[in-house]
Amino acid sequence: MIKTGKSTSIKNFLFKLCACVILLLTIDFAGGKMLKKFYFMQESGYDYLTTYSIERATPDILILGSSRAVNIFNTGIVETQTGLSCYNAGRYGEPVFYHYAVLQAALKRYTPKMVILSFDAGNFNKGLEAYDRIAVLLPYYENHPEIRPIIALKSRYENIKLLSKIYPYNSLLLPIITGNSRYSKTKYITQKGFIPIGKIFSGALQTYDYTKETSLDSTKIDIYRSFIKDCVAAHVQLHIVCPPYMIHAIGTDPSITEAKKIAAQYHVEFLDYSNDTAYTAHPLLFADYRHLNSTGVEVFTRSVIAKIHN
Amino acid sequence: MLFNSFHFLFFFVIVTTLYFLLPHNRRWLLLLLSSCYFYMAFVPVYILILGFTIVVDYFAGIFIENAAGKKRKFFLVCSLVANIGILCVFKYYNFINENFSFLLHGFGLTNPIPYLSILLPIGLSFHTFQAMSYTIEVYRGHQKTERHFGIYALYVMFYPQLVAGPIERPQNLLHQFRQQYDFDSDRVFEGLKIMIWGLFKKLVIADRLGIYVSGAYNNVPEQNGMTLLLATIFFSFQVYCDFSGYSDIAIGAAKVMGFDLMTNFRRPILAKSTGEFWQRWHISLSTWFKDYLYFPMGGSRVSVPRWYMNLMVVFLISGLWHGANWTYIIWGGINGFYLVFAIVTQKYRDRFNQFTGIVKRPRLHLFFQISITFLLITFSRIFFRSRNISDAVQVIKKIFTFKGSIFNDGTAIIIYCFFAIFFLLSVELKKEFYRGSFTLSRHKNFWVRNSYYSFLIILIILLGVFDGGQFIYFQF
Repeated sequence: MIKTGKSTSIKNFLFKLCACVILLLTIDFAGGKMLKKFYFMQESGYDYLTTYSIERATPDILILGSSRAVNIFNTGIVETQTGLSCYNAGRYGEPVFYHYAVLQAALKRYTPKMVILSFDAGNFNKGLEAYDRIAVLLPYYENHPEIRPIIALKSRYENIKLLSKIYPYNSLLLPIITGNSRYSKTKYITQKGFIPIGKIFSGALQTYDYTKETSLDSTKIDIYRSFIKDCVAAHVQLHIVCPPYMIHAIGTDPSITEAKKIAAQYHVEFLDYSNDTAYTAHPLLFADYRHLNSTGVEVFTRSVIAKIHN
Repeated sequence: MLFNSFHFLFFFVIVTTLYFLLPHNRRWLLLLLSSCYFYMAFVPVYILILGFTIVVDYFAGIFIENAAGKKRKFFLVCSLVANIGILCVFKYYNFINENFSFLLHGFGLTNPIPYLSILLPIGLSFHTFQAMSYTIEVYRGHQKTERHFGIYALYVMFYPQLVAGPIERPQNLLHQFRQQYDFDSDRVFEGLKIMIWGLFKKLVIADRLGIYVSGAYNNVPEQNGMTLLLATIFFSFQVYCDFSGYSDIAIGAAKVMGFDLMTNFRRPILAKSTGEFWQRWHISLSTWFKDYLYFPMGGSRVSVPRWYMNLMVVFLISGLWHGANWTYIIWGGINGFYLVFAIVTQKYRDRFNQFTGIVKRPRLHLFFQISITFLLITFSRIFFRSRNISDAVQVIKKIFTFKGSIFNDGTAIIIYCFFAIFFLLSVELKKEFYRGSFTLSRHKNFWVRNSYYSFLIILIILLGVFDGGQFIYFQF
């Protein structure tokens, strides 16, 4: 046998390794602390809205959902019609995991009188993107133990990654910088979380065939079920609403069907406008095929609140 | 098991620790078992295919060495048929069948041959080519037969380079499994540093650019020319960082244990011509084709038309090696054409350069050479990245209209992408043109040296894409 390579002591290696690890931990700790400070110092932007929703908001009516909640539920109209305070805690692109986390944080802080959950078609479809989007909750891991089980769904090794103080702010460096700038204050103006869209739909009507076989994600269904259960247990009046789509649908979306079934089990109202011809026949009410525009929002919010009141 | 996963991190630490704890004569067994585990972490049953080629090539090697005359060739052909046969069944069967159906359809006939619902075994082309290089080298008398079945199996299965190369030659790798490597802290650190740089390229650059590229290329009809142009340029950097990142992790992981794998990339984005590009890009595959296909066909020592044909054949087969799709074949064809065109026009280009006087300004000349090469290679990659020919044609048409504004799904994404490219170019330019200066990674001071790598790790944690997933070349 040929013997190659110089023998160096393991001791030497371990010493160097320890030195590297200590250096790395120091930078990670200092960097993490600094990022945390600036993250929570933001006064505008999407991350600021999330911080407000998770840590400070205490409205009577809490609205949750994706962009279809943010752009469709006009908080001003809700407040006028109900006489209760309202905040739209939706966030663009976020699935049921995020809504559940915000609900958990809210329930720990106070008990809202009413929660309106905006539900989207395909919410339960299998796909990893929804899990990737849990990343927006990472900065809240340290101070909010109630949302840790949701963060753990992101990946098998999430708890190990979170040993790093910098990791929760992964990809957030620029948003933190802009969130602390004047530019952000003028760009992200919301009406208690609601952001209206002014434009009018100008595309061809698309056909969606929901009769094709779709497999649903049991974890997403379980989280949705927990959402309802927790509201019921806390005696919060829960209304689940699926706003309209400007599409020609063949069949019914399996996620909506499943969501309705679960809501019925807990005697929770599910208002399904997804294929409501009162809207789908009027393109002028839409900004794009998923979102109503300002005119559509006014009609829709009034209609939903009137129905809830009745 | 992906190199960019925690699963691999634990695997690597455990295997490397056990490797140095075990006596030398048992290490091959540890490496073989861990390589099996590594491969089976993808789709366990495909280890049987690997096992089949290992058995065939092991015995083929012995038979070739023991035989004389035509029998040697017979055993070599048997080995090649077995290896290429497996490639054909698992990688090309459905592609050939689909084209056959298309051809029959032209005559108004239907194809009675069924399609196979099979998943392509991961890294099949890589380990098949490595196995073939063994029997060819034994046949040529450049390599003695490996009689130890375990060590031969390890040569094909050595986990760092099992699924995406570098495609090693037996002369370089086999003997290393018999050498005894004692623990060497400098070498371990050197290997770890190469791995960190590889991870940086994959997580911070490739996967970051990949977000924008996928957004554009997965929805070509909805995108405008400027967006597709930017996505195509991004893809050029993405594919380089993805693949060379993998190679770096493989080379680094092997180095930690004492093994030297061949260099697979030598800063190809700074190549001055397409010919030079292929001497710098995926070197282990380029040299494989050169040694086992181009030279046996006569290389350049034949008539000029035949030489051009040899080049085209090599590149078309190289395209087919990458994937069973016409887009890859066209990509190979374009690159072959570049080489032939460069040879044909060499005289005229030299005259043109003299005429313009650019040769008197070497830096500017170099800048133009590198930029033009990059653009030519990037153009060919439109076919490499597109899902089908129609998408590729649409991308080209749209790009050349130069219309529209760049799709921007959040300014941060674009800024991160440009930062990633800037960082990569800075490092590559420094390595290429300023080798001795601004040396942080090899600084004499231990703390300076390690601060640099700590900085890279922090950047990985801060800017890396941890949900990016697979390496592009795994599919080949």
